[in-house]
Amino acid sequence: MFLLQILANGIVLGCLYACIAAGFSLVWGVLNVINLMHGSFIVLGSYLAWAAYNGLGISPWITLLVAAPLFYGAGWLMQRGVLNRVIAAPVLVTLTLTFGLDLMLNNAMLLAFKADYRKLILDPPLGTLALGSVVVPVDRLVAMLFALVLTAALYLILRKSRVGRAIIAVRLDRDAATLMGVHVKSIYAAAFGFGAAMAGCAGVLLALIFPISPLSSTAYLGKAFVVCVLGGLGSVPGAVLGGLVLGILESFGAMAFGPEHAVTLSFGLLILFLIFRPQGLIGRRGFD
Amino acid sequence: MTGLASPPMPRPLRRLARLALAAAACATALLPAVAAAQETIRFGAPLPMTGPLAPEALKQQQGYDLWAEQVNKAGGINVGGRRMKVEIVYIDYQSNTPRAVQAAERLITQEKVHFLFSPFGSGAAKAASTVSEKHGVPTIAPTASSAQVYDQGYKNLFGTFTPNETLTEPLANIVAQKAPGVKRVAILARNDLFPLAIAQEMEKSAKARGMNVVMFERYAINTMDHSAVMAKIKSVSPHWIFATGYINDLVLIKKQMADQRIEAPVVTMIAGPAYQEFIDAAGKGAENISSAAWWHPAARYKGTDVFGTSENYNKLFQARYKTEPDYAQASASVAGVLFQMAIEKAGTLDRAKVRETLAGMNVMTFYGPVTFGPTGQITSLEPPVFQIQNGRNVVVHPPSIRQGEFRLGVK
Repeated sequence: MFLLQILANGIVLGCLYACIAAGFSLVWGVLNVINLMHGSFIVLGSYLAWAAYNGLGISPWITLLVAAPLFYGAGWLMQRGVLNRVIAAPVLVTLTLTFGLDLMLNNAMLLAFKADYRKLILDPPLGTLALGSVVVPVDRLVAMLFALVLTAALYLILRKSRVGRAIIAVRLDRDAATLMGVHVKSIYAAAFGFGAAMAGCAGVLLALIFPISPLSSTAYLGKAFVVCVLGGLGSVPGAVLGGLVLGILESFGAMAFGPEHAVTLSFGLLILFLIFRPQGLIGRRGFD
Repeated sequence: MTGLASPPMPRPLRRLARLALAAAACATALLPAVAAAQETIRFGAPLPMTGPLAPEALKQQQGYDLWAEQVNKAGGINVGGRRMKVEIVYIDYQSNTPRAVQAAERLITQEKVHFLFSPFGSGAAKAASTVSEKHGVPTIAPTASSAQVYDQGYKNLFGTFTPNETLTEPLANIVAQKAPGVKRVAILARNDLFPLAIAQEMEKSAKARGMNVVMFERYAINTMDHSAVMAKIKSVSPHWIFATGYINDLVLIKKQMADQRIEAPVVTMIAGPAYQEFIDAAGKGAENISSAAWWHPAARYKGTDVFGTSENYNKLFQARYKTEPDYAQASASVAGVLFQMAIEKAGTLDRAKVRETLAGMNVMTFYGPVTFGPTGQITSLEPPVFQIQNGRNVVVHPPSIRQGEFRLGVK
């Protein structure tokens, strides 16, 4: 039973990680941009949920509906206005750009919200759910389900919609896509928008579980990195798989080696994957 | 050939330039010293005003400010017959210990403070103590309790928290008396100087009373997910859960304990439950959590300092900040008080003399009796043990200030 509890904890945590990483993976895979602002976007989403609930009494589930278009718009503008100018430059240039933008964003958040930890405490609390001796907190469970729905939605958009197919086409071969009449700059903006929307929504969900502070952004970004490398870049199912593997591994790893080694474990895994399987568990270059 | 290099300066001109440079350097070095030589005594306070430890910094700052305001209202510190106002110079080190050391250095060398308060917590206080020792600046640490901070043989470091075992011993006594059935102890410690040190003291205190430490785990600083270790705690079904960390860690741990429906007869957390913020954030889950600290607003001391009695300190604090003081704020205030008493007794700002006076100090304050041991750490306090009951902190030990009986059962 005890092992089941550890497994349940790992799966729930893994789905949250998947949600953190999906948008990051999309942007990295399609645009070849390592968006270092991703963690700050997540934190910003958390602040949105916190402010909406504590200030206006709006439930996080409704905030989610607002956050998705809001962050999509912000991401779209960011790509269109700033990133597209250097998109053809080597990856280091975009990395430096997002690094700089992240410094600005993060420090703006520090100024606006201070470094204090805020908590979004639902009243009444959602409580816990017991299946036999396995106990799962409902807030995590709901966040996990939403995370899965969001990730599935992203997957479907990429597979079924026109803009999704165009994103994949651009990813496969930018020049050919241009020749086929795809407006590459708009598609880049759309992809970045989807990435930002995923980050914002993840932030809203995580606000229920973790304390909110601008300092959390690096932790989220670190997890996103590991999950992407584990799962494979640009692949939405890869993000889910990578997230699950990381969640379960951390859960059992904390049991075996003690909780203080959870971070060492995940980054150790990152290095091993980079050496032996850089394409990730199910990553392939090209098609999704 | 010479097109790129600038032509060499004639020798007398070069000498003149060098002189001017030296003069400028001297002037900038002297300026703050001249400013400081006016009517104020400058105290340096490096604090983690932003970052995860920001709530702790705010408390220390409130304590210093209240003291400075009271002293200045009374006309300042009497330095050999001359009244001098107090000024506190703050530097934010962003919860980053290496920056705390730099901040201490900057306060001494650039801000020219006369005396220094240590940064927050045992780890940063220890790191910065090297700087004050190097410059011979008497330093009081208001929030460092671990013996490892004071055992470096330094002459200039003093601390207002008694060693960690003075918290764990009375706690273990009370639990052993009130709940003889408590045998299995699970300890979860933040992997940081003070939280780990006090967890190790707890282990000793528990073992000395025949209890069995069934789990001892540490978690990394900035850990956000404790679910795995919670499952482990649940699996060893402890009677007593002892968790250490700072307030944000402990609020998170309590929430994640509830997430897995972990209950135990005794749950102790250090250091967080002393703060009203902890009770507010943990809500009903805080009920019956026990803790210990170096001071409590229920204390009733009659001091000879600027605050006088503990009651008066509470009153002034309430009036200023609209909330009850806790031990962190009181300790910061008393650190100022002790500097003041030492300076007034020494009658000078001479650092060596003030240091000597501090070392030989034996005074009564609103915070309690103060004498420092040979390592500079206070030896004269009896820290109270308390428990959150009906959303309030209730003292359960020592008997002289007891407000209620120790209760069992934390959900």
